[in-house]
Amino acid sequence: MSRFFHGSDSESSSSDEEFDVNDPAAEDSEAESSEEDSDAGSGDDSSSDSDEATGANKFLKSSDDESESGSDEEKVTIVKSARDKRFDELEAIIRLIENAQRISDWSVINDQYDKMNRQIPVLVRDLDGKPPKMYVKTIADLETSVSEAFEKQKVTPKKMNPIAQKGMNALRQKIKKNNRDYATELTAFREDPDAFMKEDVVEEVVVAPKKTKSKSALLSQNPDNIEGGDDGFTMVGAGGKAMIYTPESILKHLRSIVESRGRKNTDRLEQIRIMERLFDVAVSDYQRVRVLLSLISTRFDLNSGTGAEMNKEQWKLAQQGIATLLEILEADHDMIVVPEGAEEWEDDDKQPTITPGELFKIPGNVVAFVERLDDELNRNLQNLDPHTAEYVERLTDEGVLYANILRCLIYSERLKADKRIELSQANVNQIVIRRLEHVYFKPAQVVTIMEENTWRAIPETLDSTITPRSQSNDVSTLVETLCGYLFQNDAGISRARAMLCQCYHSALHDQYFKARDMMLMSHLQETITSFDISTQILYNRTLTQVGLCAFRAGLIYECQNSLQEICGSQRQKELLAQGLQMQRYSQITPEQERMERQRQLPFHMHINLELLECVYLTCSMLLEIPLLAQVGSSPDVRKRVISKSYRRMLEYHERQIFTGPPENTRDHVMLASKALAAGLWKHAAELITSIKIWELIPNKDGIITMLAAQIQEEGLRTYLFTYAPFYDTLSVSKLAGMFELSENKITAIVSKMIHHEELAAALDQVNSAIIFRKGVELSRLQSLALTLSDKASNLIESNERVLEQRTQGTSNAFERQPQRGGRGGRGGRGRGGGRGAQGAPHRGGGGFTGGALGNAIRAQ
Amino acid sequence: MADADSKSSPAHDYSLLPKLIPNLDRHLVFPLLNFLEEETPDDEDITYITRMKYGLLKQTNMSDFVGDLYAQLNDQSERPQEYTQKREDALAKRAQYEEETEKIMALLDDADVVNNLRSDKAANQKYLEETHGVTLDMVNKLYDYGQFQYSCGDYNMAGDLLYRFRILSSDNDKVNAASWGKLASDILTTNWESALDEVLKMKDTIDARLFSNPLAQLQHRAWLAHWALFPMFNHEPAREQLTELFFSQTYINSIQTSCPWILRYLAAAVITNRNRPGKGGFAYGNYQKQLKDLVRIVRQEQYEYNDPVTQFIKALYVDFDFEEAQKCLTQADGILRSDFFLVSLSESFLDAARHLISESYCKIHQRIDIKDLSTRLGLSADEGEKWIVNLIRDTRVDAKIDYKAGTVIMNHPPISVYQQVIERTKGGFFRTQVLSAAVAR
Repeated sequence: MSRFFHGSDSESSSSDEEFDVNDPAAEDSEAESSEEDSDAGSGDDSSSDSDEATGANKFLKSSDDESESGSDEEKVTIVKSARDKRFDELEAIIRLIENAQRISDWSVINDQYDKMNRQIPVLVRDLDGKPPKMYVKTIADLETSVSEAFEKQKVTPKKMNPIAQKGMNALRQKIKKNNRDYATELTAFREDPDAFMKEDVVEEVVVAPKKTKSKSALLSQNPDNIEGGDDGFTMVGAGGKAMIYTPESILKHLRSIVESRGRKNTDRLEQIRIMERLFDVAVSDYQRVRVLLSLISTRFDLNSGTGAEMNKEQWKLAQQGIATLLEILEADHDMIVVPEGAEEWEDDDKQPTITPGELFKIPGNVVAFVERLDDELNRNLQNLDPHTAEYVERLTDEGVLYANILRCLIYSERLKADKRIELSQANVNQIVIRRLEHVYFKPAQVVTIMEENTWRAIPETLDSTITPRSQSNDVSTLVETLCGYLFQNDAGISRARAMLCQCYHSALHDQYFKARDMMLMSHLQETITSFDISTQILYNRTLTQVGLCAFRAGLIYECQNSLQEICGSQRQKELLAQGLQMQRYSQITPEQERMERQRQLPFHMHINLELLECVYLTCSMLLEIPLLAQVGSSPDVRKRVISKSYRRMLEYHERQIFTGPPENTRDHVMLASKALAAGLWKHAAELITSIKIWELIPNKDGIITMLAAQIQEEGLRTYLFTYAPFYDTLSVSKLAGMFELSENKITAIVSKMIHHEELAAALDQVNSAIIFRKGVELSRLQSLALTLSDKASNLIESNERVLEQRTQGTSNAFERQPQRGGRGGRGGRGRGGGRGAQGAPHRGGGGFTGGALGNAIRAQ
Repeated sequence: MADADSKSSPAHDYSLLPKLIPNLDRHLVFPLLNFLEEETPDDEDITYITRMKYGLLKQTNMSDFVGDLYAQLNDQSERPQEYTQKREDALAKRAQYEEETEKIMALLDDADVVNNLRSDKAANQKYLEETHGVTLDMVNKLYDYGQFQYSCGDYNMAGDLLYRFRILSSDNDKVNAASWGKLASDILTTNWESALDEVLKMKDTIDARLFSNPLAQLQHRAWLAHWALFPMFNHEPAREQLTELFFSQTYINSIQTSCPWILRYLAAAVITNRNRPGKGGFAYGNYQKQLKDLVRIVRQEQYEYNDPVTQFIKALYVDFDFEEAQKCLTQADGILRSDFFLVSLSESFLDAARHLISESYCKIHQRIDIKDLSTRLGLSADEGEKWIVNLIRDTRVDAKIDYKAGTVIMNHPPISVYQQVIERTKGGFFRTQVLSAAVAR
């Protein structure tokens, strides 16, 4: 077994060796003067060209030619060392078998036989479908000796060693089966073993010396050998004379490089070097495009491992490559690169003739290149420490990348507009969404600068139809047009993404209602769980941003609502893809962790988590504290909890025996909550406003004033809830003094509370005072009775619902009667109550009173 | 729009005309413009209205009238020649249509034929074709003729023609167009009952036919909401039904997304609904519910649409700012008086709004100064007192007037806990009985 693997290993190592062999040759040639180089190149090339057709013919002929001609011999001689090694191995095995045969050690023979058979397919391939001679000889010998031994066994009573016995039986079966495949060779061998083996001997003789010779021959650039190489169409031939780059041979070089792609141990850096040289040599645009196409993809291949990131230099070179490619394509309108529907140019010797006015298609995908470039930059940024200068430096590359995206977009638009090509819409959409994803999360000023620079970098003549140059300075229109384009031309996931990006952008720019309306109208909250994870992350980000926007607009309730889902879960980091959450008892496999790492957003896209937490907690405080005060300690409490995580924190904070001065955001909010609950609104406001992180919000002063006002109001409400039982009357002016609010405002708030039946009181207009009603406070027994009656009616309702589900609404009588019985909850919802009456009074209409016509109308 | 010349009066600031016009048919806009003309004081220039009218009707076949307008615009004494020419053309065309549809019209007037018609359109068509030789082309002529008549301003005839066409044709698109035409004709002939039927039918068609095209559905619903305003405010029985329609989930959504200004009409309709004799206690509960819905929606749409009518709702039910509510009410009154649809309602609106104010005021306050309340309601002291007396009598509020101090003292008895428990468990037995009966079955 191990030897088998070893064999394959040796193959790769040998090919590696070849490159090493080539390398000095190439460098040699480089050292030579350039004119000599080209001279030799052209001379050599023409000779090989003339040779080629015959070479191919010979090749074809020899494959089914039974008699071993000289040329075939020739071919064998230049066989790679890997093949020689394999033959050596085969020989060794055969020798072992022969030895074992002599001592009748059948188990060894059996083992070796298996090993040999495993080798055979490769060897057969090397020999163009023929089994090696010595193999045929061996199996023929084995067959006879096995049958002889078997016969002998029957006759002689002497027992065989059981292991050997077992080996022989197995071997016999295998031989029977196996030999059927080689029936022709075996008969040929049996007929005339000497003649059959003669060639084999010759071959064996040849193999040994040539092995060393081939290397040296390559090194010395023996002309004979080169011819041989050409005949054989092997890689060695192409690589061996790689130093000769002429415009004519470019395509051939490219082909050989493309063919080696994906194989083990191909030196991609070397290939890149070759292609760079090829690009310099290339004379026509066609050649340049071809070279660039494979050059760029090779650069991307350079580190193909899943975790590995592309290095910076290669990225830059790839980026420049794409820019050049786009430049060429922009200049030459007759030649296009399309991902589908283009024929591969098969003839490496001839250049395709490009007639002006007619399209010439080259297979390749520019959009995919740009996307890949984008991904690589992203991966790079993920792996950099965001607080270093390197990160910032790397981030500046986004500018050129963006320019590439834009140019690619313009190019795709051109192709799309061209009637002659059927470019799939998906292609344009892809690039549009890439552009969108570079824009949506940035503030308008940043985007404006980026757009300006990009348009400046692009030649004046180019303009985009989707986003004209003239529009470039208005960012929200830009985002809108891009999204609008995607809505119109795409379906499914990128549409959803576009929608989310637009929401995010509006939210970022303080257009709360627009963002919210769009978010609601998209109905994504119902389907988002079925989307892929990165879209879900985008959704979470958008939701968060909408929440923050609501906060900036002073809409506390809305803000808390939209942040609830993200912040209430304690998994903000994971949900927003902003860092891995360290979980103590994590169930995730390393594989999952790696995936998660890949999903992480680069730092510059992050939403500040601390600010987020601060906003969320502050909002929760403003909503929860009055609620807690209102609910008080009564047992019938509608146990409404707005934010579980806030409650948990508050409880934790209350359990602490000693509380020091506030240090972090959370401490500040917790202390403020306590102060607010005690009616000390001023203290609460002070604590909240002293939080440092508000600095990050653009309009800091506005936010602080807003928060102070909110705290005043909620403080008033909390105060009234908490202390109402202790007052009989309370003058409005006193309250106004306490909370530093205008009397009107106090009246309005109190009125609201009274109207919503939150407060059992009434206003006395004459004395401008609040009169609290007495006897409203329930005794414990009373409130329990209320709770019980509630539960009883809930029970009945749920029973009814169960029955309804069972019967699927077939019991109509049942359905109607309870409604008459005055079921509040249900009747309130059924708005269609009056709908039944609509169809009833139907007029015949016009002059048509005929019954039949009346029917006709009703049927409509 | 031409009335962009900003007038200082609030009525003009809040004029919805420019918003309404795109959603209405040109023929339907005409009454609105006429109303605007009547409203405008004599000393003001009304040329821009005339110009609008002219632009509006230029496309129609009412050449006489258009010609007059043209003359009026250009200070000519007689209408120009081309209009006479046009008129001749129209007449000739009408004669031609009449001739073409003569046969089918005669058939449809014939009782025998009509009696043989069934509810199946395909069968009808076959029957007519076999026995009377009516071709599809002839049926389609009915449609063309109807459209022509509509364009000429003969709405009665047009409605009739379109109605007949709709019975016979199976071409869905045309039937749909014919339905809109019929609705417009009904509205313009003030045949409200039929118009209401058409509106409801149209609603079903929109739901069913455009099911797969949400955008078109939205657009059509917006149109229908606008068109429905005509029967809504001109035909008393229609109002209740149409208010229901507007409050239905799909329509309220459409209104919120594409035409929030309809909220003004909805608000007006809901508020005035109070005064109408209801069907017992149900109507009042419904009224409360509608009011609640309205408050919610007005509040939601505050950022998109705002006028004194919705501001009134907001001030009263969201901010509880009675002074602001009073201010808004005065403004709203002015607006209602200058609104084509709402002008007839302005009195009852004011009345109902006052009721709302005092109701909620009394609920919140225990002792009220009559003078203060009167100013809040926009009434004089004597009127205010009378108002309060009426209120106490009508709504059976537990209140007394302290004449000497000039105050009203409200008595808000707290709801007894025992009463609450009884209320909650009231239907329990009955419901359980029904339940067990249903299970037994």
